[in-house]
Amino acid sequence: MKKSTRKSLPILIVATIIAFLFLLPLVWMVFTSFKTLSESMASSSILPSAWTMENYLSVFSSVSEAPILRWLFNTAFITAVGTVLVVIVDILAAYSLARLKVPGKKMIMGMVFAALAIPGIVTLFPAFYMFKTAGLLDTYVPLILPYTASTMGVFLMYNFLISFPKDLEEAAYIDGATQWQILYHVIFPSIKPVAMTLGVITFLGIYNDFLWPSLVTNSNDMKTITLGIATLIQGANFVNPAKMMASTVIATIPAIIVFLIANKYIVKSVTNTGIK
Amino acid sequence: MFFRMEVKMYKGASHKIWSILMVSPFVVFFLLFWALPLGLGVWISLHNWNVSSGNLGFVSLENYKSILTPGTLYYDLFMKGLKNTLYFVVISVPPLVLISLGLALVIDNLPKRFKPIYRTIFFISYSISVTAVSAIFLWLFNGNGGYFNNVLESIGIIREPINWLGEQPYAWLTILITTVWWTIGFNMMLFINALDEVDVALYEAADLDGAGAFSKFISVTWPQIRNVAFFIIIMTVIASFNLYGQTKLITGGGPEQSTNSLIMNIQTSVFGMNQLGIGSAMAIIMGLIMMVIIVFQYWLSYRNKE
Amino acid sequence: MKFTKFLALVVSVFLLLAGCSNGSSSGPEKTEDGKIKISFINGFTGGDGAYMKKITKAFNASQDKYVVTELQEKDHYTKFKSGNYDLVVIHGNNLETYKQDGLIQDIGPVIEKAGIKESDFHQAGLDIAKLEGGMYAVPLDIHPLTMFYNKDLIAEAPKTYEDLKSLNTKLQAQSEDLYALGVPSSGLVEFYMLMIAAQNGVDLKDGEKLNFAQDKYADALMQFHDMVWEDKVSPPKLGLDGEFQTFMKEAKEGKAYQTAVALTGPWFYGAAKEKYADKLGVAPIPQIGSELASYGNAHTIALSAKVEDEKVKEGIAEYLKFMFTPENLINWADGGQAPVHLATLEKIEAEQEKYQIAYQNSKQFENYVSPPQVYQFGEQIRYMNETVFSKLVTTENFTKKDLMKELEKATKLAEQVAATAPKK
Repeated sequence: MKKSTRKSLPILIVATIIAFLFLLPLVWMVFTSFKTLSESMASSSILPSAWTMENYLSVFSSVSEAPILRWLFNTAFITAVGTVLVVIVDILAAYSLARLKVPGKKMIMGMVFAALAIPGIVTLFPAFYMFKTAGLLDTYVPLILPYTASTMGVFLMYNFLISFPKDLEEAAYIDGATQWQILYHVIFPSIKPVAMTLGVITFLGIYNDFLWPSLVTNSNDMKTITLGIATLIQGANFVNPAKMMASTVIATIPAIIVFLIANKYIVKSVTNTGIK
Repeated sequence: MFFRMEVKMYKGASHKIWSILMVSPFVVFFLLFWALPLGLGVWISLHNWNVSSGNLGFVSLENYKSILTPGTLYYDLFMKGLKNTLYFVVISVPPLVLISLGLALVIDNLPKRFKPIYRTIFFISYSISVTAVSAIFLWLFNGNGGYFNNVLESIGIIREPINWLGEQPYAWLTILITTVWWTIGFNMMLFINALDEVDVALYEAADLDGAGAFSKFISVTWPQIRNVAFFIIIMTVIASFNLYGQTKLITGGGPEQSTNSLIMNIQTSVFGMNQLGIGSAMAIIMGLIMMVIIVFQYWLSYRNKE
Repeated sequence: MKFTKFLALVVSVFLLLAGCSNGSSSGPEKTEDGKIKISFINGFTGGDGAYMKKITKAFNASQDKYVVTELQEKDHYTKFKSGNYDLVVIHGNNLETYKQDGLIQDIGPVIEKAGIKESDFHQAGLDIAKLEGGMYAVPLDIHPLTMFYNKDLIAEAPKTYEDLKSLNTKLQAQSEDLYALGVPSSGLVEFYMLMIAAQNGVDLKDGEKLNFAQDKYADALMQFHDMVWEDKVSPPKLGLDGEFQTFMKEAKEGKAYQTAVALTGPWFYGAAKEKYADKLGVAPIPQIGSELASYGNAHTIALSAKVEDEKVKEGIAEYLKFMFTPENLINWADGGQAPVHLATLEKIEAEQEKYQIAYQNSKQFENYVSPPQVYQFGEQIRYMNETVFSKLVTTENFTKKDLMKELEKATKLAEQVAATAPKK
């Protein structure tokens, strides 16, 4: 053990330096959020010379302009519902396509491949007009449903299932299991790692989306946190950097917590995506 | 007997209904939120459609023509955006792929108990939204008295402050550094998992042959992770093509419109100039260009597999 | 064949959805307790937003027939174009565009109903709100390019370019990191470019387009280049909002440039006041060109073309009548803006210390030059804003010939933008 640690000391040092560089912007963000306005604009040292909680207090006191907690809730709601929906819809579709020889399979797979290559901007404005015509702007509907059209999940899941042996399913069938039971007891457990991967990709995709939510939301109360922070950055004319960092810290902490919890799943799950 | 049963399992009449039921939510969503908007987009692109005054009539391919005719306003807008975006794809894909591979190799060679910590640290920035990332780097790279400049000055790398956001090539470098810091974790994770899958026995065999670290990577590791690498490259190209948040929020397209990405310019034609028809046509041309590039990449990686 | 069925289903569901939501446009929208709803959208997402909200809140509390819902949105123009709002704040330089696009209507009858007269406003405000064919908005304020100065570095506000130069010599003798002022390469550059046009008597409006390619204008613009590279009154290569950021820096660390004066937007007042308190001076901008003139943008309140209902118009008239009284509009001055409403201006003058920034800016109304009224002003000047000015002030060897070439290109682009105007 000792010997192996000594041997890997150089690589440990390299990793530590890189880790330091990765954490530096975050550390800077946290420290700046404790600076006064004039110091945050004037000084360039990383540590505040006089610590202040004022930025945090003013973020929480200006909730009518910047309802950060509401934005966080919106984001949590949208990402949770959206992710679950996408994963379920995609599993069902991929299973049907890979195993059940659904009529029109070739055509569906063709669309799936074609859609992978076309950028979101192509459908952005028409989709916006559709939701506008339907009177659904500024609701949760356009913030969730359009993500279900993404074909990445079907693509990943289909590839996984194609290379996954059928033995278990067939054994279950011989034992008299129904289609639903097979799906629930056999397919779901074995597909879990891919589903987690897809979940993470989808979660981050929805979480980070910026252009689409900015089009389909009107009121401050419907904004996602990503969008809300953007409003604070672009401000109208003047943005207080210290206060902005405080809001960024508040916005980032929940995401990091979710991330740390999901981390151990993510690690396991990205394996076996069927990409290989 | 087994053969017949399989036929029954996957081809029975009830399964046909099951299969249609299972695939239909996806198909409905796909048609509603992808195919329908796409069709609508094509239709709009054939019209003189003004955001303020609505549909001003069918113009056939006129919008496409004015985007592709040199000297027009829209040609400038589209070509400049395309040029900037392609430039970013070219400068960003190699570091995003190679650095993530490097990080994955570093993690792979760490003692086991240190792996989770470093992996988490390298991955954590990916959980931060693009707007927060932009806010941080906007101030870090401030030209006059920004933190980054001061660090460089105090360790003696530069004498004069660098105008990171207002001058090229620094503005692109800023966007690149930001993008690498922000998104590298995802690619790295994919590589780490691919590396985990590599059979240890192969390394041991290579060790017996007395192979060095580099030749081990080339002869053992690379063939095993090549497919993942191709997948990552394609994903990264798509992501870099969609450049928007970073340039919009950090450089605002500057200096001198050199970091205006294609998506930003499409947005300008729609919401700045009110030309929804032109904007839709631009988006469709962009889609076609991306499709060609991606199909070409698929073809390349497929050919390499042979 | 399954797919054609799917598609048919999907399309019909969608059309159904669309049909349902369109059918409800009869009569004005009302709240549950019978008040008529008036929607008001603006872009006041900065510090000034709270002050407008205060006025709206007071109005809603003051009577029981109408209720104004105010939406403050960074991208409020986009939202206005794609949504249904009754009242909208439009910047002075955008008014002509919105008029030509048919998005706003003559507000004359409504303000008449409100008992507001043209003579209630300063001429500078009327110049902005009155377009060909009528009054298209109620002028709210003008936010001109403003001068801040640091009283620790300079006792009295500079009045001319010569003052700035001698100030700079003095400061440079103290420390080479101290400059008179900063010229930014992006941010407020539109104000800079139109200010210098106004101060040199250049009229950029040429028919329907902006004509930048004028010899006299090139000379005027070259002064910014010379400020950085010849006279060196500004540090080189300042970025976005450089004029203000440099003003807020501290040169004593030897790590950053600092300036004594900032020619900047009044919205930075709050931040500057927080840092400098009593040491912050505010004054009208100095004369840099051949004559004294001020430039800036303005907020106006316009009436959406979609408003037809007389009841809604009456409500809007009530709201405007309420807002344009000194005791209510003074809130707007409290937020740092300079209203063009004369009665409110009197109140401001009476308390010049309290309304420091509003008062100083109102002094600039006298020689204010309003933005040229052309279609899509912002798009016509985009290339100037995003490319030409930055080249001008960051390229050391930039010549007038180089500039003229860029101005010609900018004019060509402006001409093409002007041509997209709807046919009359």
